[in-house]
Amino acid sequence: MGQKYEVLPHTADYKVKVFGNTKEELFSNAVLAMYDGLKPRLSPGNERIKKSISLNSADSSALLADFLSEVLYLMQVHKEVYNELRFLSLIDSQLAVKLTGQKVEGFGEDIKAVTYHDLDVHQRNDGSWEAMILFDI
Amino acid sequence: MFGINNFKKISEWVWELPSNFRADMEVPARVYASEKMLEDIFRDESIPQLVNTATLPGLVKYALVMPDAHEGYGFPIGGVAAIRASDGVISPGGIGFDQNCGVRVLLSDYQAAELKPYLEKLADKIQKEVPSGLGKGRQVKLSIEQIDKILEGGSKHLVEQGYGEAGDIEYCESNGCMRQAQAAVVSDKAKMRGRDQVGTLGSGNHFLEVQKVEEIFDEKVAQTFGLFAGQAVVMVHTGSRGLGHQNCTDYLQLLDKAASQYGIKIPDRELACVPFSSPEGQRFFSAMAAGANYAWANRQMITHHIRKAWQTVFSKGNLSLLYDVAHNIAKVETHEVDGQKMELVVHRKGATRALPAGHPEIPTKHKQVGQPVLIPGSMGTASYILVGSKGGRESWYSTAHGAGRTMSRHAAIKSISGQQIVKDLQALGIVVKCHNLRGIAEEAPQAYKNIDEVVEVVHKAGLSRRVAKLVPLAVIKGE
Repeated sequence: MGQKYEVLPHTADYKVKVFGNTKEELFSNAVLAMYDGLKPRLSPGNERIKKSISLNSADSSALLADFLSEVLYLMQVHKEVYNELRFLSLIDSQLAVKLTGQKVEGFGEDIKAVTYHDLDVHQRNDGSWEAMILFDI
Repeated sequence: MFGINNFKKISEWVWELPSNFRADMEVPARVYASEKMLEDIFRDESIPQLVNTATLPGLVKYALVMPDAHEGYGFPIGGVAAIRASDGVISPGGIGFDQNCGVRVLLSDYQAAELKPYLEKLADKIQKEVPSGLGKGRQVKLSIEQIDKILEGGSKHLVEQGYGEAGDIEYCESNGCMRQAQAAVVSDKAKMRGRDQVGTLGSGNHFLEVQKVEEIFDEKVAQTFGLFAGQAVVMVHTGSRGLGHQNCTDYLQLLDKAASQYGIKIPDRELACVPFSSPEGQRFFSAMAAGANYAWANRQMITHHIRKAWQTVFSKGNLSLLYDVAHNIAKVETHEVDGQKMELVVHRKGATRALPAGHPEIPTKHKQVGQPVLIPGSMGTASYILVGSKGGRESWYSTAHGAGRTMSRHAAIKSISGQQIVKDLQALGIVVKCHNLRGIAEEAPQAYKNIDEVVEVVHKAGLSRRVAKLVPLAVIKGE
């Protein structure tokens, strides 16, 4: 798939439409959209950092938002970014993921939170996935 | 779709969308705006979001939006909803992720002209003392126990620890501490995010400016507030940082799941809500109050560092707090509804409380005139100080909170460079100390409504009265 995500117009916040051939790819691309939105300044050195997340949410749409919130938390509190995701499971409203990434010196932009506004995760007729996410910045 | 024809003109400054506009509305939706501004508001999702807000159970009279309205998430920004405490709901999306985002103004004894030769040095010192928190942050990391004390004690706790003076408590909304706060209902994750951010500004439209009192509209009130023409003041605009953001995130998830148990149906998940009197509702309120206390402590610590910077530049004089007021918060307040006193949970999301003269929650010094209302403009433009007035009764004593965006950040960056903005500001004699040029471009004055027009609406609609206009001398954003 060509485009990983697209930035949509919003007066104040950061709204993206995310694409993926598979649900795993959709979730990874959503993390990428958040990564880009944070404008991280990477720390020198190439030490790789590993984290893991297991989650259980209300439904599959909430799962994406809650997952991103969890990733955002880890990024903010540890000053890290993750660009490699390995899904151990991703079914309906549950997931288990291993993340790999690196330290940052700081962020150029603050993402305050992942909202539930206009939240939508769905599979298209061709089998690929699409999601709408609004980040509060 | 809708247009001006759907609205009933209540007055020159108030427009109402009747509750039959959409079947699920509990009450009408009202917009405070001039006709021209109303047309502008139609350009984004503000009105559909206001209509969604008007569906919340227990809403009294109407869902409101102030003239600085723009689309947000859940509520529109500028939204005000008064909901019955007895059988109505509380909604995290009606407050926002930045719990108790707000403003404070510090008064100096100096004329701006006296300050001028030292401005560069002062701005430099302040920039070093007050980081944005997106980079290295504060080098001090508080313990969870210290965070708990801040969550329950607010700015009051910090003042007691020596980070301020008595006036900092007296002239802060709620004396810098909502007593309903409980540290135990705030998650460890939220606390972790807050450990190194007490005394940090954040990004986006949050700012710190040294300003000059450019114009006084009401001599008597200005005098009561300690304002005089040409005076140098400092304005701080920030909130509860990562702690508040996480706190809201946690409760949005919880309330989204709990809402269905109470049979609540809402048109937007971001409006997730539960009855205020329910265990979940009470827990959220205590957590939000703790988030609000953290924000007051944050602004207090910033004040402490500004004063430190100030004292290294000027040997005499101090900066005293004029007032500190929230614009993202829910408060339990008693209002008169159809002649009856009623306890309401007033949600203000991008709206400022504006109490009239005589109200019991106003500091004694201001009681005769009304509560100071602080409205920050966009970067490099004007800001205003107003005073609460009796006319605010119809908006639950709420007024505007800023200029309000009209252009997306993306569009702003495309249309103008940060460098150009800095040049333009410098050409006006404004000192600019900012690390992030991209951030400056996003906050370009062109991306905002005209603050003069916003203030004109709330002034003429009687929600609050103009007292003074402030213009920037120095714009400061730390690393």
